[in-house]
Formats: sequence, structure tokens, C-alpha cells
Amino acid sequence: MPLALTLLAAVGYGLAWYRLSRRGHRWPARRAACMLAGSLCVGIALLPPLASHDDRFEVHVIQHLLLAMAAPAFLALSAPATLALRTLPRRARRALLRVLHSPAVSVLTAPATAVTLDLGGLYVLYLTGLYQATERDSVIHAAVHLHMFLAGCLLSWAVIGIDPIRRRPGTRGRLAALVIAAAGHDTLAKLMYAWMPPAGGGPAAGRQLEAELMYYGGTAIDVALAVIVMTQWYLAAGRALARTRRRSAVAGP
Amino acid sequence: MASSHLAGDVCDAAAKETRRSIWSGVLAGVGLVAFIDETVFHQLLHWHHFYGKSTPAVGLVSDGLFHAGGFIAMVAGLFLLADAHRRGGFVPKRWWGGLLLGAGGFQLYDGIVQHKLLGLHQIRYHVTLWPYDLTWNLIAAVMIAAGAALMTGRAGVTGSAMFRSDAGTAA
Repeated sequence: MPLALTLLAAVGYGLAWYRLSRRGHRWPARRAACMLAGSLCVGIALLPPLASHDDRFEVHVIQHLLLAMAAPAFLALSAPATLALRTLPRRARRALLRVLHSPAVSVLTAPATAVTLDLGGLYVLYLTGLYQATERDSVIHAAVHLHMFLAGCLLSWAVIGIDPIRRRPGTRGRLAALVIAAAGHDTLAKLMYAWMPPAGGGPAAGRQLEAELMYYGGTAIDVALAVIVMTQWYLAAGRALARTRRRSAVAGP
Repeated sequence: MASSHLAGDVCDAAAKETRRSIWSGVLAGVGLVAFIDETVFHQLLHWHHFYGKSTPAVGLVSDGLFHAGGFIAMVAGLFLLADAHRRGGFVPKRWWGGLLLGAGGFQLYDGIVQHKLLGLHQIRYHVTLWPYDLTWNLIAAVMIAAGAALMTGRAGVTGSAMFRSDAGTAA
């Protein structure tokens, strides 16, 4: 499912980019590169060789890092909704704008909701019997992947996204959301290390290694997200500073 | 802007810049201790353990918060530092004061609340513990005292040699 969604989004993105450049408008190539990188992360996570071994827990952890954390971050930075708003026909654009500005989307992309859905899903997955159920039932398996991906997207859009959504919190709020999400992730990795239900996921020693992989891999991505949030802040503050200096230069001493 | 407001504006701006430098230092200090804790004590020396068998859940939450929060604080602190330099409003004395307060405060919290009250993990295993605990918390107390000392007295803004060609004192 995430694979089909991403493939569709990537193709649509490419078409829209082409259309925009035919009209003579520019669209930053780095955003397109982010779309490509995000799609690659999803592809690596869900296609062989990784996918053919996802009964192994370490493969599952790598999938989790790619699918729920790295891919959504790249996709959020590719600003697909902004691109769509610039290229869709007028009626479709109005409809999209109505959706983006709807109360439902505001609630979903609020950091509190995104953090709750993201962490909640992970805690339920690893600390109840759900992970073991995914090993037996392919529908549950696919649903878990889809939830991880979508919840990761919500969180990424809330924290580092550049698409126009209403009531985006300020830098402090976004950093706070990131700290809570990262802390919840770290805590969960330690809980898994300590007492993840041992029925699935191989021998205990392996599971501990995987918990550490999740802990340190998650930290690396969270630090990268913090760098992105602060870079966005630094650039915006720099623009504001330049404006103030221009204004005071014009006004004179 | 009317000239009668100018003196007040200058004062406000100076106070704002001092606050910025302090917060940048505090965040970098917390991040520094989190970073040293992780690299030196967990990874290089292997004194600290990833997980202590008797750790209660509240200890894990606290540890997760400070592990993740520490690294993110470091990132935020360094960006604030770059911003202070860009504005030409960096107050080095207050920055170092903030750094020592942040580092000492976090180290004291780690040493007393996390290691002792929450039973997270000990500084080192299979040794007589109290000299380690004493040294740990003493270093924290010294950092806090030094940081507090740097918060008093006069402090000037410094133009940074790193970022500006016309480096020099500009306060």
C-alpha cells in the first residue's frame, strides 16, 4: 500500500513538475530530489531483498526506520501539495485547498495528534501481541506498514513540512513535538530491550541488538530532523533580519 | 520610529541579545553533557549500561527525554549561537555562564535524580560506588557555581572574528 501510494505520488509529482517547467515556471530541483529520495526509501523498505526477509526482526527495524521516519521526512520536504496547488486546474485546486484548510486536516496535522498516532501505534505494535500477529497474517502486516508510514507522514508534515497547512506551530512547538516523539521512541526501544513479548522476533540476544539499532538509528534521524527545523528557522530569521536592516537603512539614522 | 523611543529600544535590544546568548549557552551545555554521557560513558568506557535490570518505567522515560532532548538541545543551541553572531550581538561571558549552568544542572539531575532516585543505571559497576558519585556531583556543583559567577557583573557584546571581517569589541 505505501508503495503504491508513493509510486502514484512520484509519477504525479514528475508530471506536475514537467507541466510547470513547460509553462516557464521554476520549481526547486532539491524538492524534486526529496521526492525521489523519499520514494527510494519506501522502495528499499518494501521491495526485495529487504522485504523477502521481513520475518526477521532486524529487517523489520530497518524497515521501520526507513518507512516511518526517513521516507516521510523526505516526502514532507518535497512539498507535493504546494506543487499540486500550482499545477492543478482551478476547480481541483479549490477542492484541494478546501481539504487542506478543513478542520479535520488541521486536527490531524496538529503535532499532538501526529505524535499520539505515531507513538501510540508503535507502542501497541511492539508491546502487545500485534507484532506476533503480523507474522501470521499478511493483511495485518500490510495494515501495520500503512499505519507506520501514514503516521510518520503526519509527524513529518507537522514538524518539518513546508506545505500550506493551517495553524502550523512555531519553531518551539515543533521542536517540543520532536523531543516528545524522539523521547517516546527511545523509551520504547529500551522497553523492547527489556521485555518485548519473546514469542516472536527470534532469540533474546538478537532482540536486544535490534532494540539498540532502533534506539540509535532513531536518534540519528531525530537529530537530522532537528537540524532541518533549526535551518528553516535560521533562514526565516535571516530574511526577517535583512528586511529590518533594509528598512532602517532607508529610514536613515 | 520616534527618537524618544530610541534609548528604550537600545536597552531592550541589549537585554534580548543577552537572553539569546544565555539560552544558546544553556542548550549547548545540556547537549554537551548528554553527548559526553553517551559517547564517553556508554560507548567508549562501557561504564554505563544501556539498561539496568531494575530500572522502573519512569526512569526510562526520563532517560529517553534527556537522551533525545540533549541532542536536540545541542542542535538548537548551536543555531542560536550562529544567529547571535550574525546579529553581532554575541555576549561571550553570558554564553559561557549559560553553558556551565546548563551542563552542571543536567549533570546534577543525572547524578542525583536519574542515577539515585530513579535507579536508572549506576556510573560504574562492580566497584565501590561512592567516590564516583561524589566526583560526579562535585563536578556538577562546581560547574553550577562557575556558571552563576559568570552571570553576575558586567558583560559586553563581542563582534565575532569568525563571522565578521571588522572583528573587535562593539559594545
